[in-house]
Amino acid sequence: MASLKEIKRKIKSVKGTQKTTRAMKLVSSAKLRRAEQVAKASKAYAIKITEMLEEISANIAKSQDSIDSPYFKSTKEPKVVDIVVITSDKGLCGGFNSQTIKQANSFIEEYEAAGAKVRLRVIGKKAIGYYKFQQRELESAVDGLSSAPTYDKAAEFIKVVVDSYLDGETDKVIIVHNGYVNMITQEVRVDNILPLNPDEFKPDSISTSELEMEPDDDSLLDELINRYIEYTIYYALIDSLAAEHSARMQAMDAATNNAKDMVDSLTVSYNKARQEAITTELIEIISGVESMK
Amino acid sequence: MSNLKLEIVTPHGVIYDGDVKVVTLCGKDGEFGVLPQHASLVSLLDAGVISATTDDNKEIVIAINGGYAKVSENKVSCIVDGAVAITDEEGELSENLSKAKELLKKAQSSDTTIAAAVSKIESIKK
Repeated sequence: MASLKEIKRKIKSVKGTQKTTRAMKLVSSAKLRRAEQVAKASKAYAIKITEMLEEISANIAKSQDSIDSPYFKSTKEPKVVDIVVITSDKGLCGGFNSQTIKQANSFIEEYEAAGAKVRLRVIGKKAIGYYKFQQRELESAVDGLSSAPTYDKAAEFIKVVVDSYLDGETDKVIIVHNGYVNMITQEVRVDNILPLNPDEFKPDSISTSELEMEPDDDSLLDELINRYIEYTIYYALIDSLAAEHSARMQAMDAATNNAKDMVDSLTVSYNKARQEAITTELIEIISGVESMK
Repeated sequence: MSNLKLEIVTPHGVIYDGDVKVVTLCGKDGEFGVLPQHASLVSLLDAGVISATTDDNKEIVIAINGGYAKVSENKVSCIVDGAVAITDEEGELSENLSKAKELLKKAQSSDTTIAAAVSKIESIKK
């Protein structure tokens, strides 16, 4: 049986931890609200740019038989696959990062089993640490971006990827990240960003009116696709940030509750131990008195 | 008379959404004005200034750093990278102006574009 003093010290330390986790939860919920707002504001852009891409590609498809753009060139069996893994820079957010890494690993296995070479491009300290430990070679590694995503930095990162795709160094690019669903749910999302699937850009209603374009069709489409890809990675980053905060909020909430339960059970054993000490003392006194008679 | 709906969105949110009578856009191949019932059109936008006149004859000026405009019958959607609305609400005009100038400078467009846009902004300020 642990001594009274030991239990008391334990209670104090658990209470200290509880304070920390509670503070972290509050910080995360405040940050989550902001991240959520950013993601929501950005949604309007997503809808517009997809709409526009749909219409332009439909329009080009109307005038030509197929879209002759490198971005749409699909390969059945990719030889080199780039996987972009987005995780957080900080820990203490439950299974948030491990879920993403697990999904990424299953892709790596899948493509390597099919005989493709997998190149990893990793964003976030957690994934960098993980793959360094696994001694995997990283094509590129960026930290500091997932905790404070900006459009410019995201665009800078993805430009390298797109360029290597256009140079023929890679056949396929996918993004794996953990996305925000609501306050208590996150889900791992996978975006195939390159090559684009033309079927995904079929507008719901094909307008009959002819679309005028300036400058000429192809450069406009290419630019728009570039923008679309830039935006996709940016959105993945802000989505991941919102998910990170919600995951951390949950993890810290659970930790606070666990700490509370622990304090409760420790208090019970503390009381028991105290009671026991008193009883022993009483018995000692009584037996002492008895022996005096 | 039918109206034109103008929407300007950036990755960071919606900058403007409302009805206007006429809008002037800064296309890659030059500035052009759009009135209601315009033919469908898609154009690249250069860094510069979008100006529009609302229903109640107010001028709106928004500095952008490049993007796209899609014109369909009664709607103009601008998808831009960054935008600053230059409004005169609560005396924030000068602050907005400097933000807009900074945005244009960052866009790395040619000096003439910046100069043209800045002079346009300044003339509106008066």
